[in-house]
Amino acid sequence: MGIQSNKTYQAWFKTPWSYFTGAIMLSLFQIVTMATTDGAWGVTGPFATWAAWVYQAFGGSVDKWYFFSTESAQAALQRTFITDPASVRNLGVIVGALLATLLASQFKFKKIKNFRQVAAAVIGGLLMGYGSRVAFGCNIGALYSGISTMSVSGWVFALFLFVGAAVGSRLLVKYFM
Amino acid sequence: MNEYELDCLGEACPIPLVKVERKMKELEVGDTLIVIIDHSCALKNVPEWARKHNHEVEVEETGDGEWEIYIEKTN
Repeated sequence: MGIQSNKTYQAWFKTPWSYFTGAIMLSLFQIVTMATTDGAWGVTGPFATWAAWVYQAFGGSVDKWYFFSTESAQAALQRTFITDPASVRNLGVIVGALLATLLASQFKFKKIKNFRQVAAAVIGGLLMGYGSRVAFGCNIGALYSGISTMSVSGWVFALFLFVGAAVGSRLLVKYFM
Repeated sequence: MNEYELDCLGEACPIPLVKVERKMKELEVGDTLIVIIDHSCALKNVPEWARKHNHEVEVEETGDGEWEIYIEKTN
């Protein structure tokens, strides 16, 4: 009998964990994140920091940018990738996802089917990136961390997340299928 | 009792599910639809949708990160 048919292997690595288990794990790790980094979990915040680092490396300056005028944004700019908890955590998310898919023996390079797929990914990525910055967070930083820290803004974000998803999925079906 | 194939390789959510919903409308009762996917999210929502509509569903892992979902139209 190979490992593929082993019950423990299947339960731990092969089949997706239930939403309930996922929710418990996310809650525990949110507490660990709060305790160790003095901030809630966020994903897209560091993207802006990374872009600013790249811009600065080419001689640019973001000193006059309103977006980077907050204390926390300034503090992030002073750090390096390795000393910035949020940046390292983002790397961990990617490495963790890769590890999970390798352990499940489900790693695969997916083919790009057509140009429309590329266009959808690029347009969608830009909209999400811009949206998450003007909303000061994505569905992690603004929604999940917002609601779990008792912020009303998280609930407002949730409401408009549904509106956006409804409009977005209609556009996707109409123009990109 | 015809068999149809739906190639959804390289397509992410929710496209495989929308394609399955559309294709199932064209099928006669007793026909089988074989959906080929390589996104694990479709492995969850396509069988879920089919079972909710009381169709017969079977899933087979055909390769690393590739699956075939067999859906027999029952109604």
